[in-house]
Amino acid sequence: MSTTETSAAGDVRPRLRWGVPAFVLLVLAAMVLAVAVPKTGYILNISLQATTYAIAVLGLTIVLGLCGQINLAQAAFFGLGAYAVGIGQTEYGLNFWVCLPIGTSMAAGFGALLGASTLRLGGHYLAMVTISFQQIVTLVLINWIPVTKGPDGVRAIPRPGFLADGSSYLAFCIAMLAGLGFLVWRLRDTKLGRAMRAVRDNELAAGVAGIDVYRTKVTAFALSAILGGIGGGLFAGGFAYVSPDQFSFAESVVFLTMVLLGGVASPIGAVIGTGLLILIPEWLRFLKSIPGLYLAIYGAAVILIVLFMPDGIWGFLRGQFDRFKRAVLPGRKAATLALSGGGEGTETVMEVRGLSKHFGGLKAVDEVDLTIKRGGVHALIGPNGSGKTTTLNVLSGLYRATAGTIKLNGQDVTDLPPHARTKAGLGRTFQNIRLWRSMTALENVMVGAERPGSTVGNDATAAMARARAALAFVDLEERADEVVANFSYGHQRAVEIARALAGDPVLLLLDEPGAGLNSSEKVELRNLLKRISARGLTILIIDHDMTLVSEVAQQITVLNFGRRIADGYSADVLKHPDVIAAYLGTTPDVPA
Amino acid sequence: MNLTRRGFTTALAGGIAAPAVIRTAFAQGATVKIGMVVPMTGAAAESGSFAQTGAKIALEAVNKAGGVLGKPLELIFEDDQTTNPGAVLAFSKLASQPDIVAFIGSIRSTQMHAMAPDMLKIGKPVGFGGTDPNLTKLGNPWLFRFRPNDSYSGKVIAQFGAKELGKKKWAIVHSTDAFGTAGGKALADALPDNGATLALDQGYANQSQDFTPVVLAVRQSGADILGTYFTFETDLGIFARQLRQLGVNIPWVGSPSIVNISALKLAGPALYNTYGVADYAEDSSEASKAFGKAYRDVRKVAPDNQSSWTFDAVTCLAMAMNKAGSTEPEKVRQAMIAIRGHKGAEGEYNFDKNGDGLHGYNIVKNDKGDIKFDKRIDFTPNLG
Amino acid sequence: MDLVLQLLFTGIGIGSVYALVALGFVLIFRATNVVNFAQGEFSMVAAFLMVVFSLKIGLPYWIAFVLALVCMACLGAVFNLAVYYPLRHRTYLPVIISTIGASIFMANTTLAIHGPEPEVLSGWFDTPGFMLGPVYLDNQYVLIIVVTALLVALQYWFFEHTLLGKKLQATSQDKEMASLLGIPVAVMIMITFVYSAVIGGIAGILVAPVLFVSIGMGATIALKAFAATIIGGFGDVTGAIIGGLALGVIETFGAAYISVPYKDGFAFLVLIAFLIFRPQGIFGERVAEKA
Repeated sequence: MSTTETSAAGDVRPRLRWGVPAFVLLVLAAMVLAVAVPKTGYILNISLQATTYAIAVLGLTIVLGLCGQINLAQAAFFGLGAYAVGIGQTEYGLNFWVCLPIGTSMAAGFGALLGASTLRLGGHYLAMVTISFQQIVTLVLINWIPVTKGPDGVRAIPRPGFLADGSSYLAFCIAMLAGLGFLVWRLRDTKLGRAMRAVRDNELAAGVAGIDVYRTKVTAFALSAILGGIGGGLFAGGFAYVSPDQFSFAESVVFLTMVLLGGVASPIGAVIGTGLLILIPEWLRFLKSIPGLYLAIYGAAVILIVLFMPDGIWGFLRGQFDRFKRAVLPGRKAATLALSGGGEGTETVMEVRGLSKHFGGLKAVDEVDLTIKRGGVHALIGPNGSGKTTTLNVLSGLYRATAGTIKLNGQDVTDLPPHARTKAGLGRTFQNIRLWRSMTALENVMVGAERPGSTVGNDATAAMARARAALAFVDLEERADEVVANFSYGHQRAVEIARALAGDPVLLLLDEPGAGLNSSEKVELRNLLKRISARGLTILIIDHDMTLVSEVAQQITVLNFGRRIADGYSADVLKHPDVIAAYLGTTPDVPA
Repeated sequence: MNLTRRGFTTALAGGIAAPAVIRTAFAQGATVKIGMVVPMTGAAAESGSFAQTGAKIALEAVNKAGGVLGKPLELIFEDDQTTNPGAVLAFSKLASQPDIVAFIGSIRSTQMHAMAPDMLKIGKPVGFGGTDPNLTKLGNPWLFRFRPNDSYSGKVIAQFGAKELGKKKWAIVHSTDAFGTAGGKALADALPDNGATLALDQGYANQSQDFTPVVLAVRQSGADILGTYFTFETDLGIFARQLRQLGVNIPWVGSPSIVNISALKLAGPALYNTYGVADYAEDSSEASKAFGKAYRDVRKVAPDNQSSWTFDAVTCLAMAMNKAGSTEPEKVRQAMIAIRGHKGAEGEYNFDKNGDGLHGYNIVKNDKGDIKFDKRIDFTPNLG
Repeated sequence: MDLVLQLLFTGIGIGSVYALVALGFVLIFRATNVVNFAQGEFSMVAAFLMVVFSLKIGLPYWIAFVLALVCMACLGAVFNLAVYYPLRHRTYLPVIISTIGASIFMANTTLAIHGPEPEVLSGWFDTPGFMLGPVYLDNQYVLIIVVTALLVALQYWFFEHTLLGKKLQATSQDKEMASLLGIPVAVMIMITFVYSAVIGGIAGILVAPVLFVSIGMGATIALKAFAATIIGGFGDVTGAIIGGLALGVIETFGAAYISVPYKDGFAFLVLIAFLIFRPQGIFGERVAEKA
């Protein structure tokens, strides 16, 4: 196995090298089977339905599995694709190959629009928006009779000439499913795929790590809709007849159940889930003597699967399989992490003037000035509730400033969203650690390395090399391929710092990095901070631990009740009478 | 937890494998098989059960009379789940059984449209009940309709209302599904020929919870007669009640659902004194009466068109096979086309070259909940 | 004018139905932060139970009513134990799917047991309605409006003025804190589900005389009620009521003056508009994630 490690591409998925030819062979075999084996119309119809549905379900693998957004309108997108292929060919005499992209782009457009509503909505609300969209599409399909033919539906939809035969059309659909499935599978480990997973696991952290959360969601919805549209277009060709009731809300629920049953995490799960949910009701037809019985069993099965197979069938199988998998150790030493510290520039890294943040009548931050000099550690301290974390949140863009200006390296960033500030060179960590818990340490740090404007750009190999270097810098290189959810608190903290470092920031904001660490972990943290500082990177740190602060910080700013009460060199500030009063007046709090 | 999960997985695997095992355990018998696509689940599950009863009564009669070509006749039912893809799958499942010699399709036109390509491909006779006139104009020689199509219902409603009741100003209320839209259009088209005018043409979406706006629109329109095409009985029931509550009492002639047994049960007095076109009316002929009696013996309720057409379809298909002396599709098809003057529960069957067997409707009146046969209006078919 | 008044009454009547079902949504959402997609089936099941007890067995109306509600309480408990409770520590998504599965299960089990025929359930009155000036008032709708108002008042009193109500409120706001305070959270959630099932049952039995008893009766109403809940704002009882009434009125007037076939579309258009421009609903508070 060690030979594969020398190839950079092999690092992502060592199995890929053998996997691709095997996969291609398998698909070819399936296509040959589809053409060569004589089938009854029933088998053909079932296979066509399963194949085209599976393509639409792949869309949910992206939007739900990768990006964590619920979509209860996949049948509507499926319908848009199907109607485009149907009406385009029968009414406007367009070619199948023209109609398919038209339907797909229509679906993509509406998908992006739905995605756009995620700007303000999530969870149940998003679910409801997608349901509403679904219902409106159904109503339009039924009632806009001049265009959609209304409830009669569109019939006699042709297939492309050389695929007119059912078997060859099925083979074509299998090839499409395989191709699209492969792309979805690869998507997971692209820059976009990692960004989606980051958004799914922790949206806030994703934004701060430089991901344009909003655009990522819109992209996920659009991609999902595209797959729905393609599946629908192929479905229309396969069944030659489409009508509104085939694309109703109930079908969207079926699509969603399919992806959950198979497992949202992988396109293989999508295919398994689709296959089963099309086959199970067919198998259960023998229960038909009592109306309702088999759908009742289907409903009960859905509940049982959710209860006992939370990761779907494929996730369950993978879990069994992974128990026998050996851990793969990286065989190669990582390079040294290069930190530019923003390069040469003015002496001041960050200039904050008159910064205020009010929540209603509460002045959490009130007219604070802050000047952070290049190279060195600047600490922001103050008793509980003094506005430290609020200040940090305003600086990193999570809160909008009520008044004041923030300049980073001379650039005014006051009104920029978090990801744009990250692009401008800001990196930060959170008091309550915000890692993407289902991703590996390496993937977490890679997202940091891939921040917009970073040196690695879109080069995954370079991003990975840089991420490994960053992990090596915090002494976690050997755990790079482990999922961070299993890490100790201290190690998670280190990964979070590595993630920020990988982006090669101009200024690193650390929000109580010592919180929750035991004494030996604190010693490691202190050494780490010193090493970072020694590389010339500027740090702004908030912490309660005065020992830590006084040991690492050269400059200190003290806040109390949202106002700056002292500012200057550490030794001077700590002797300042107002500071002493502020601290003695309150009990030092225990980090949560 | 692990144990539970494993138990669950095993059970799941067993459950998935079981049907295949059970199915192979049944041996194929020496019967003549007719496959029937019928809703057993979903919105139309109820009418599906009526349709099955009608077909089973015919089955019993055929078998009592010696079966088909000396073998007992057998019906194979498949559930279409009241959806179009469900119908396509159900039909293709039946079509994949080579020993099925003929089929009975759906009473719903959209499902027939969905299944039509597969029906053409399999090339075996299909009896169906969908009333969209286009279905027999698709150039598909295998389709045989066992109910009068909607061009007749529209004509009959218009003629009865305008000529017999003498009302000229019409309000039409119809469902926006395929059946309702086509029916409403046929009625509107037939009005000018009968010297009548259209005051209101109002569509509604199926499964509405409230019809107040529709009823008020009827009231505002000043129409003196109401023609309706309702698909679901619950909709018809709610509409009828609200119509009466809001004081609309103009004469009302409705599509067949208005005399459906569930509609009568749901709407009760609200439907008294309405007229309906009915492809099945119990008192319209001796054959209809005989079917009515047989049906009451089985179901304990009055029969309606949901069951009468499947009864006729099974009877005619068996008759055609016996006459053809073969179950070979083309011979059965020729024998079907040749049927003349067969007195079925729905009326007299004369198949024209398109495959339409019936060419007129009964007008029935709801007399305090009893459906009374009023008259039959027939049009002369082109038997060319 | 007569026309407007008549439409207004109808809109409020149908809106009260949505509001009544929405009450059940809100209760469960407040206690568990989960939307119960099977809420409509509670109404359907209760109406069928009523048919069985009152029509088939022939029990007096009141006894049948109480018995049906007792059954609903049990169903709510079973629902909690089978569908929600095992998933309480997971995200909202599996719970949504699980309740959708429960909805399919309940609808089709009823179909399998009872068969597909719709049933007529008589109301509490012998006469169907009366004229008030130019407006016809359906007795059953009047009853629905009154019962909805009573239940809202009761619910308000219960949550604000009883210890149990306050415990339930505490549970819905912060489960961890509630359990630290010695409130048995599991019991509180159980009570919520039982109560929601009963409320859903009352709604089902009340609308049965108007909309008839059919397998599909729950699903359509529930979707609208869900929309009403969002318009009014999740987590607020008053909001659900206002949302339901608003939806009923908008729908009725939209159908009368714009288009009947697109009637269901108005509800969803209003909903989308609300979600985009005022996602917190009429009364709800904006919930932002803290850094």
